[in-house]
Amino acid sequence: MTTKVTINRLATGVPGLDEVLGGGLPEFSFNLIAGPPGCGKTTLAHQMMFALATPERPALFFTVLGEPPLKMLRYQQQFDFFDNEAINHSVRYVNLADDTLAGDLDEVLRRIVTEVEAYSPALVFVDSFRSVVLASQTQNNPNNNLPQFIQQLGMLMTTWQATTFLIGEYFTESDTNPIFTVADGLIWLRQSLQRNSMVRKMEIMKMRGQPTLPGLHTFRISAGGINVFAPAGLNAPAHPPQADATGVAPKRLKMGVPRLDEMLGGGLPQGYSLLVAGPSGSGKSILAATFLAQGAREGETGVIAVFEQRPNHSQNATLARLIADGKIGLVDSRSPDLSIDEIVHLLLKEIARLKATRVVIDSLSGFELALAPTFRADFRESLSRMVTALTNVGVSVLMTSELEDRYTDLRFSPYGTAFLTDAIIVQRYIEVHSRLLRIMAVVKVRASAHSDELRLYRINDDGIQIGEMLSGQEGLLGGRPTRQRGSVAAEPDRYET
Amino acid sequence: MPTDSEEGRRIAVSLVSRAGHSPNSAQVAKAIIATLQDMDIALSPIIGRKGVVALYRRSLHLCESAYPDLIGALDSTPEHVDFSRLESLLQQQTPNDALCLGNHLLETLYQLLSTLIGVSLTERLLGAVFEAPLSALPAQDTSP
Repeated sequence: MTTKVTINRLATGVPGLDEVLGGGLPEFSFNLIAGPPGCGKTTLAHQMMFALATPERPALFFTVLGEPPLKMLRYQQQFDFFDNEAINHSVRYVNLADDTLAGDLDEVLRRIVTEVEAYSPALVFVDSFRSVVLASQTQNNPNNNLPQFIQQLGMLMTTWQATTFLIGEYFTESDTNPIFTVADGLIWLRQSLQRNSMVRKMEIMKMRGQPTLPGLHTFRISAGGINVFAPAGLNAPAHPPQADATGVAPKRLKMGVPRLDEMLGGGLPQGYSLLVAGPSGSGKSILAATFLAQGAREGETGVIAVFEQRPNHSQNATLARLIADGKIGLVDSRSPDLSIDEIVHLLLKEIARLKATRVVIDSLSGFELALAPTFRADFRESLSRMVTALTNVGVSVLMTSELEDRYTDLRFSPYGTAFLTDAIIVQRYIEVHSRLLRIMAVVKVRASAHSDELRLYRINDDGIQIGEMLSGQEGLLGGRPTRQRGSVAAEPDRYET
Repeated sequence: MPTDSEEGRRIAVSLVSRAGHSPNSAQVAKAIIATLQDMDIALSPIIGRKGVVALYRRSLHLCESAYPDLIGALDSTPEHVDFSRLESLLQQQTPNDALCLGNHLLETLYQLLSTLIGVSLTERLLGAVFEAPLSALPAQDTSP
């Protein structure tokens, strides 16, 4: 039996925050929430307070100089988490403005201690701590010692078994502020502004005793409060797509396009990611919709993420019907400040809701445009994380990618992302006898045999119809095939599939 | 600002109850000041003394059109709340006028706070101040 202390971790009630913190908030910890004005510090504090406070474990919220309490109550109650019934019951506000104005930190500390002893709170908030710091600086009192004040406050609160939050602004990371040393946790909120989009980000710079998720995590503030988009699905895959140790090959999914399954070597292996690359109008979206419709025919559910800017996304009637019937979930976010983690979060939520097995991203080009500018530089990395997160939950993913027709080189995606996916289908236009024909080829199916043929196909009311190879021609990928020496001249009708 | 509202009736019942049976002007004034002090006690820990002073002064201004004399209750130092001017002003009224004036002022203050932080939170913070004492009239069923 271990005699080591067990640190309880509190569930903060802020979606995604517990994961970023590395399993919740350590009980009796002394934390600083810092960041510039308007980044959501007070909102984060309130959301945690209302989630954690109970009549038995009440919260004390000390308002110092800064946002007047009347205004804070007025604005914070706009959030869903604000519970009027909790005020003066499990949540108490205490105004210390007068004590702070006097500039005597000893008096401020004494007031805090008096209130803490009177109410025995499990949670203590001090908003804004910056004013305490300023008050100490403007005082000509030699007894005013900020490091000592913080050290004493931290010690008292922990002894009093209160989890404490100081809310402050204008701290800079290079500061040698004593609070950084005393605090057990540093939660830093930031705003990244680029062009016309603003993205909120959170960083756990320090959280004693537990493995936090490093880096900046995007979050959004809506009527429900703060939602942190923790990086998802980076753990070991729950359903490895490849053949497992027993050597059993994964099940193959039918694509819904006659003859395409055969080209893929028997269908798309379950849990694979497939990139469909092709120029505008080559039928990528039709192939994607057919993939989902085939799933629905087999009793599977799917999710489609649409990033096109036109409002009437679904010109495919079958897809629209499946969405209306609830067999296909639609992720259709048009926020100008989307982050990759938010998209993954939305997708995973929809996948979990529908128990979906097939996912379509249509298209990567639109997805890149939908991302906030600040994330575009890391697009490849973002894409890799998304593919990993999705395939880790065991779904099969089909992504479409706009491919500018270039006949001088053979490319599969404009991002150099082809290596990220397990399988690739390329569609191209070719010119033969003054006609624009389409060809399709399976370029890659990881760990599986597949066709190496360039097949003609056409699109009619029944969808994609794959035909034969264009025999007797060569140089198809150059866009302008030439007749092979000695072969019979092909009639245009022969190209009709 | 005040209307023939539920709060208005509740405040009136509370004031009558505090002032006692057939009160004189001084007793009415005392009841009104006591109510204001209770509001101050309920609010100042939360919004600070200065927050309460600001609400009180704004309420006096809002009542000015109906009761021009009330502006005389304002003192020149907006930092502190001082009810003594109001008390002496109320004592100069007839008991009935003092009651009407006090009721108007308290209801104005209550409604002012409601516009700022909402009806339910205002009720949460100030409800106990106007809770009908045992000697008050029984609650009336106002449903149709």
